[in-house]
Amino acid sequence: MGLWLFNGLLIGICAIVFFPIFSTLLLSIKEPQDVRRKPPVLLPCDTESAAFDPRNCRFSLDGYSRVLLLRPNPDSLFGASVTGRLFTQYVPNTLFYATFAAIVTTMLAGLAAYGLSRFRFRGRRLLLTLLLALSGVPLLTMLLALYQMNVRMRQMLPGYEERLFMVIVYVGFELPFAIWVVKGFFDTIPIELEEAAKIDGASPLGALARIVAPLAAPGLVSIFLLTYVNVWNEFIANYLLLGRSELRGAMYGIYEYISQSLSAYNALAAACILVILPVITIFLFTRQAFFRSMLEGAIKG
Amino acid sequence: MLRYRQMTFFAFFVSMLLFLSSCTAPASPGEPSATQEAAPVVTWYYYDQDNTDPEANERIGNFYLAETIPQFNEEFAGRYRWVNVPRDYNLVLDLVAAVQTNGDIPDVMRTGAVDLPTFLLNNTVQDLTDYVKGAAWYADLDPKAVEACTAPDGKIYCVPVSESPYLVYFWTEMYPDGFPTTTDAFLAKAAELKAADKYALTYWGSTAFDGEGAGRYFYQVISSFGGSYDDGQGNMRLNTPENIAAVEFMREIVANGYSPEAAFVGNFEEEASFKDGLAGAFPTGFYVGYQYLNPLKSPSGQEFNTISAQDMEDAVNAGVMGLVPIFAPEGGTPGCHMDVFGFVIPNGAKNVEGAKAYIDWIMQKDRAVQWVLRAGGGVPVASSVREDAAFQTEIFKQAAAALGASDCKPWYGSLNRIPEAKKIITETMFDLLKGNPNADIAAALAAAEAEYNSSN
Amino acid sequence: MNQTQKPLRISVGRWLPFWVLLPAMLIIAAIQLYPTIYTILLSLQQIEPGTGRFVFVGVRNFERLLGSVAFVRSLVHTVVFLLGYVVLTLSASFAIALLLRQRLRFTPLYITLLFVPWVISDVVAGAVWRLFVVPDYGLFSPFFANPTLFGEPNGISILTTVPPNQFSPRIPLPPAPALLFLVVASAWKILPFTTLLILGALQTVAQEVQESARIDGASNLQLLRHIILPLIRPMLAVTLFYLILGGINGVGMVFSLTGGGPGTSTEVLSYLLYSIGFSKLDFGLAGALSVFIAMLNFGLIALTLRLSAAYEEH
Repeated sequence: MGLWLFNGLLIGICAIVFFPIFSTLLLSIKEPQDVRRKPPVLLPCDTESAAFDPRNCRFSLDGYSRVLLLRPNPDSLFGASVTGRLFTQYVPNTLFYATFAAIVTTMLAGLAAYGLSRFRFRGRRLLLTLLLALSGVPLLTMLLALYQMNVRMRQMLPGYEERLFMVIVYVGFELPFAIWVVKGFFDTIPIELEEAAKIDGASPLGALARIVAPLAAPGLVSIFLLTYVNVWNEFIANYLLLGRSELRGAMYGIYEYISQSLSAYNALAAACILVILPVITIFLFTRQAFFRSMLEGAIKG
Repeated sequence: MLRYRQMTFFAFFVSMLLFLSSCTAPASPGEPSATQEAAPVVTWYYYDQDNTDPEANERIGNFYLAETIPQFNEEFAGRYRWVNVPRDYNLVLDLVAAVQTNGDIPDVMRTGAVDLPTFLLNNTVQDLTDYVKGAAWYADLDPKAVEACTAPDGKIYCVPVSESPYLVYFWTEMYPDGFPTTTDAFLAKAAELKAADKYALTYWGSTAFDGEGAGRYFYQVISSFGGSYDDGQGNMRLNTPENIAAVEFMREIVANGYSPEAAFVGNFEEEASFKDGLAGAFPTGFYVGYQYLNPLKSPSGQEFNTISAQDMEDAVNAGVMGLVPIFAPEGGTPGCHMDVFGFVIPNGAKNVEGAKAYIDWIMQKDRAVQWVLRAGGGVPVASSVREDAAFQTEIFKQAAAALGASDCKPWYGSLNRIPEAKKIITETMFDLLKGNPNADIAAALAAAEAEYNSSN
Repeated sequence: MNQTQKPLRISVGRWLPFWVLLPAMLIIAAIQLYPTIYTILLSLQQIEPGTGRFVFVGVRNFERLLGSVAFVRSLVHTVVFLLGYVVLTLSASFAIALLLRQRLRFTPLYITLLFVPWVISDVVAGAVWRLFVVPDYGLFSPFFANPTLFGEPNGISILTTVPPNQFSPRIPLPPAPALLFLVVASAWKILPFTTLLILGALQTVAQEVQESARIDGASNLQLLRHIILPLIRPMLAVTLFYLILGGINGVGMVFSLTGGGPGTSTEVLSYLLYSIGFSKLDFGLAGALSVFIAMLNFGLIALTLRLSAAYEEH
């Protein structure tokens, strides 16, 4: 009895939580004439005679085709190429930012966390506290200064690349939390293993690379994924720091859709679905890694 | 040995940095050897010559640049090279910030006269008085447009190329006897449409885009009632009998449901009900309607579906769409804000001579026609350009007639803190129309002007 | 060679922490520490009209800030938002975590499904929830437009309705439906994260402790109040910490869901900071507001930690 109740409740909650995603998916495959209807319908299955007729549901890929803007292209592998800005510009930018920021963050956080986990030195506590305190400073606060920093560097350094700056900004934002998480993982690895390695003649860095890192691999993987998803989803820094829209990422693409309100809501919904698809896929396949790093970071932090 | 280890690590770190910076080196913009003699003229537009998306919001301007940049470069081969840096709608703020921090400053930027007070306040743009007055095209310009580019100190800071009056687009199917010229006639007609379950008009009623609505519908109505936002001395003055009457009139429209709820949503949502033929009229800028209101579907279901400025032209030619001045109270003159678009040369521009050559080039008749139609918007400021066949079409004739029948002034008048002013004004108007429709109008207007004037 | 090896390794070890920490610390200093200090300095300066130069003005920016209508309004919005956000999220995630703790056959599946919103960005989440309430065409808009449920002749519309101020023209109370809607949407987005934190804590409460308490005759409610709550209190503090930080600083959803509107009814402090700094170009005032928001963050976090520590001492 209780079991049924609990299952029922949980299924209900899952349905409610999932509804916004589900309805967006439905909206994205509606036909244009069903998008702007008064009153709105969840499922466009009504006919003139019946309010709901499952055999007469109308769906179309109009929304997706508006986002992707496929044009015939004989040179392309599939005979057509995507020309929508979201996928020729914004998503590739985001891929670049997320990939590099995640790689650099994981490497640097690994190094720094090793230092903080394995060595006792003066100022260590202070450093750890400072890392935590920085998370209390609002992101927007920093953007004022970073904006000017970016402008100034562009002026002073020939060949300056704003994309690289954006990656470093993301690394800077993600590092404090990442260091805490990775340090937590390192702390759980017994120091005796390294001592054994050292006796065998390995240097501390060698021990980090050969003993500690493989053991902490799950932790490093989770921080990589977490950073990746965070950068993928980031909007405000990307929007405000980069003046030129050709450098901006996927979330700006979505914002552009909203703020220039395509009355084609199916296209906006389709863009949303396409942009969240990669992160949801990553999440579904690697959810354990996410849960681990979240718990680790939160508790230690 | 100790040194050695430390050094290796340090060397590794430095080489990493070098590696990273070398990755970026090929991306540097100039190819110095090849084009040494052609000095770049850097422009800022919110159009992007490389964006070939046929449904992009700014497709018309994008295609204009893609086509025109090579023509300029060919004509000025060896002397100048047009380099456009595509920006987004924030370019005014970006220019102010760039000049303040001495960052990447363009040589010339497309802008509107409405941004001039912001530039003057921050010392962003150059005095162009001698250049403009000495130019061959000067005598030909509409004096009103030159005035819009003139600062209170009497100096000219921008070069006007086109001007775009605010007027009313309307569906003739909903207003078969023409669009009402008086406010009373409009209310009567609106009640009639309401009874038939239709909206008489839609408009920019929201506070979206940091108060962009201040110069649109609100100002059109207020100025038609003889009101304004300032006292002519740089102070905000809202609490006047004319403004109060205008607010009462706008309240009536909201209270009776003559306009759709979407008018207050923002993000151009208000346009949709006009484009779909659900609302009968849309007070907005000539340029805004011409360039952005497409595709169209008339109240009776006639479709105009090229997704370009052509749709509006077709609708006007077919007689289902009309352009007229906004209504005014009995005996009043329709009010209107006029956008003036043109160029500024920022302080710190590296190639001022090139910028002037660029402007002169654009000001030639055929070039100006293209610029106004595809990059500037509105109607030409120069009378000789206005005579071109491109501006003799039905839609331009109606726009010119509307402009002639209205009294057009910049909405900001003598106010100089534009971003602050427009935010305060739209927030107050929204609150009076939507948030607190029973609040005392005079008190709210007085509070708003006091807030702005407190930092004068 | 071998004889010099040993002391060397110790020396390397002495400097090693410095070298491994250096790259990360350099980046953090450049991207977080320097901007923080810069902003504090900025808050004491103002742009001189006409020349566009920064001049030192002391605390004038703070005076302007505290005296401005927009600041008071946004502060009230932030407080209302934060209260709703914290209460709604904590109670909902606690309830869900209690359910998930019953190790049912499909619990792993439920957990996976429930956590999907967490990887969706603020901007997309805002867009999705905005689509629900677009006047006339949004799926929820007929519900809100129902006059019998929401009074008013035409019901309400989330994206346009602002209730008249009840107390003073300067205090935006009661809050607009849009602000409450923003609370719900934000809670939906953060719910997975907080649920997981609380679930993690609940699972550390030893089964035996509960069993023995139950044998002693404790009711479910007593069990919750006297055994479970005290045990997971540290984790509740951590959760609160994240909710406060996210609630005050999060701005992506405001951008995409309401854009600060209707009117100014969802203009929270962080959105005001954007509007002052990046659209009104008043860098000095933005600096002052930044300092204020940072102080608010630290104040609330300190309070949270103090409360949880105080409980632990008892």
